[in-house]
Amino acid sequence: MSFNLIVMKMAKANYKKYTFYVLCNSLAVMLFFIFSTLYFNADIVQGEEADSIKYALGIPSITLVLFTVFFISQAHGIFIKKRKSEFGLFMILGMTNRDLGKLLLLENGIIAAISITLGLLCGTLSSRLAFFLLLNYMGLSGVSYQLSADMFLSTITIFLVVFLIAVGRTLFLLFNQDINLTLKSDRVSETIKMKNPVLGMVGVLIIISSILGVFITYTGPNGGDYLIIWTVFIFMGLYLALNQFTSSVINFIKKDDAHYYPRMVPLSNLDYKFKQLTSTLMLVSVMIMVTVLYNTILLFTYTDEKERLMNMNPYDIAFIQSEHHNNLTEEELYAIVDQDENPIEQHITLPVYTFFEKYHDMNWGQFYHVMSDREFSKLRSTTIALEDKEFIYYLNHEAHHNTEGYVFGFHFPAENENEGNYIHVDTIVERNLNHLSNDFVIVNQAEFERIKENREDGFESTIHLINVVHWDETAGVVDELKEIFTTANESSPSISGINGEESPEKFLFQVESKADAYQMNMNINGLSFFVFSFLSILFLFGSFVILYLNIFSTIDKERVKYSKLTKIGLTGHETKRMIAKELAPLFFTPVITGVVLSFLFIVAMATDVGGVVQNPEIMVNFIVVAGIYLLMQVGFYLYSRKKMVSKVIL
Amino acid sequence: MVILATNKIRKIYGELENDSYTIALDKVDLTINKGDFIAIMGPSGSGKSTLLNVLSGIDKPTSGEVTIAGEKLNDLSGDDLALFRRKQLGFVFQDFNLLDSLTVKENIILPMVLEKKSGNIINERVEELASLFGIETILQKYPYTISGGQQQRTAVSRALVNEPNIILADEPTGNLDSKSSEIIMECFEKVVNELSTTVLLVTHDVFAASYCHKVVFLKDGSVHSSITRSGRRKAFLEQIIDCQAVLGGRNSVF
Repeated sequence: MSFNLIVMKMAKANYKKYTFYVLCNSLAVMLFFIFSTLYFNADIVQGEEADSIKYALGIPSITLVLFTVFFISQAHGIFIKKRKSEFGLFMILGMTNRDLGKLLLLENGIIAAISITLGLLCGTLSSRLAFFLLLNYMGLSGVSYQLSADMFLSTITIFLVVFLIAVGRTLFLLFNQDINLTLKSDRVSETIKMKNPVLGMVGVLIIISSILGVFITYTGPNGGDYLIIWTVFIFMGLYLALNQFTSSVINFIKKDDAHYYPRMVPLSNLDYKFKQLTSTLMLVSVMIMVTVLYNTILLFTYTDEKERLMNMNPYDIAFIQSEHHNNLTEEELYAIVDQDENPIEQHITLPVYTFFEKYHDMNWGQFYHVMSDREFSKLRSTTIALEDKEFIYYLNHEAHHNTEGYVFGFHFPAENENEGNYIHVDTIVERNLNHLSNDFVIVNQAEFERIKENREDGFESTIHLINVVHWDETAGVVDELKEIFTTANESSPSISGINGEESPEKFLFQVESKADAYQMNMNINGLSFFVFSFLSILFLFGSFVILYLNIFSTIDKERVKYSKLTKIGLTGHETKRMIAKELAPLFFTPVITGVVLSFLFIVAMATDVGGVVQNPEIMVNFIVVAGIYLLMQVGFYLYSRKKMVSKVIL
Repeated sequence: MVILATNKIRKIYGELENDSYTIALDKVDLTINKGDFIAIMGPSGSGKSTLLNVLSGIDKPTSGEVTIAGEKLNDLSGDDLALFRRKQLGFVFQDFNLLDSLTVKENIILPMVLEKKSGNIINERVEELASLFGIETILQKYPYTISGGQQQRTAVSRALVNEPNIILADEPTGNLDSKSSEIIMECFEKVVNELSTTVLLVTHDVFAASYCHKVVFLKDGSVHSSITRSGRRKAFLEQIIDCQAVLGGRNSVF
């Protein structure tokens, strides 16, 4: 029997161990590859928002590289622990180090090849699917699915580097360890490993001070770079804390027999599990943290932006009409806009007198619209009545914008010097109509008529404000209207005397609609939306699978343990309770850690926009995202518990 | 006082209708009184382990009844049976069945913990048993760091911790060297003499059986014969070897 045949025979006998190992490695390759299809997608990283997206991908990249390193070395560790006793036996039977090295390299080489192939295949398919679903769902047109050599190369390189280091380390240990220890390695429990409560405390302290660090530096210069550094520190602290802090907690509980005895079996098991699964738990915590954090930011940006756009466009369609511009009769307008399936609900027309003031020494100027107090009152809930020669400066803008500069610089000239100037009685800043041209002068009706008659520097025009039943179905109508206006306006005389693509008239006579604003938002924010959603799905999936694989990799041991317990009289009911007690911390520690960390991150990062207290919607979004995540984890926990019970109780 | 009684128990594996059945136990009647120290011996396949499984409720007899401390095992099922085992029976296994993740002390107190006994009572009981079996110094150690003999003494302590009516031991010396076997059997003697607990063990180790008060021989699923110890252990040992020869087993390798 040749050497290779022995290896083949052993692989067949140990297929379960190999399956677990190959699955773990494939998963690592797959997740990393899926991420790289995003990271190296030219549409995403070379687009307009390339910088902000690359910046946003910073923390996820670190997480994934860390994930790959920890996950592969851990899977290797579990696999080798199972195989080591066999290697010990070979060594006792006289196998040389050279042969053993050959065996190890051969089987790991095959495993690496299968894992890479399987991982890349699944990764390609699932990233294709994810792109397709997400792009379709969002109606995003600027991004397409791509495959490039970079994606494959980076995935394979990172995987191979980590994998080779893990295998190299095993070879070194195998050749330098006592054969006897190697032979018994399967039985040696991890509990004898170093226990150091002080280190656990240090971990917790690192986490707290790093969060404080984020809080202090985030708004300062280079805040983003600091963020990455603090994140790395937090991960380190988390590892120490998870590795050591739980032992300390368990040791503390052990001091009181009354508390310890009833929880003895689950606690001792957890002590061992937390040590064995430290990197898994840390990774899952981090993945949950990143997912919750990014989803909260995403939801906040999305709702905030949507709200802002809706506020900016109180009417579904709005435009200004003058004699030479946008000039349609009412019949023509209704023929286009008033559709049977989406009729006009409201149509307001406001007569205004528009004039242009050119800025000194600049090829730019400003349109002002004079409007009567009666018409202006139509737009608001309270009426305004002005005396002759009085005017209100009205700025069509969100109230929180700083507008003081405008107010003081504004001067409304009389039409001739003899009459004396108008008196500025008030300035109103509020959003009442779409973003057309935002500067208005409100006078009483008599003054309005007089200005219309006497002034010659402006022209009469009408503001149209239209509401239909469904604003989201107006994209076609708006496009048609724009097309007609553009063609008609081409031959119109210039008002400002400034010509070209960027002339003030172009902006004045634009059609402002909710549908356009929505589309613009999708084009600008849609890409971030896409990237974040993609990452969430990737991380959510990743974190679940890692936990699951790890917990169920030791199912044989669990079965033996519970069969021993059954023999000394553990009832089925007690077995279920004990399994629940053991599984719950493994599932919920990472969720709670991740959610708490993301909460602290959000609090720290919200200092940028004035703090969470000023922006309660951030907290609402956070609670929604964290709640959904917690619910999913509960479902997943219940499923795993059921599966575990059915596998353990025979 | 009768602690354990069986009434014509039969255990048949496979279907009676087709010919592929095996009779593992055939109308076994057994009566064990409080304070008895009994060994069940017999060649491989004679039904020793099946009997022990049926007595402990792990396996159900095809027909017949098992009564332990006045309770009929046939009437119990599922969790009730598990609770009965935990309260009334103590088990010692050939491969110890200790949990690697628990210390010696924790392994011993496990049945008491399941019974939700208070911390003080638990600690007193552990000290008592540990000093009885000489394992005080290893209470904080983990099972994989102590010897087989020590592991089995831990298992015996665990079996006794809930003060059961009877201890059932399945080849308790099967994995031990002769010196450790001697210590374990001395432990069982203490259990019977000092704690007045009944012990029933299944073994094919004649040396271990010689510590008992009575040896029951099984052959082909039924009780073949039994002998009772009347004098010194050495004489009883020879008597057991003779009986084995009659049973058809070899009495000596030489």
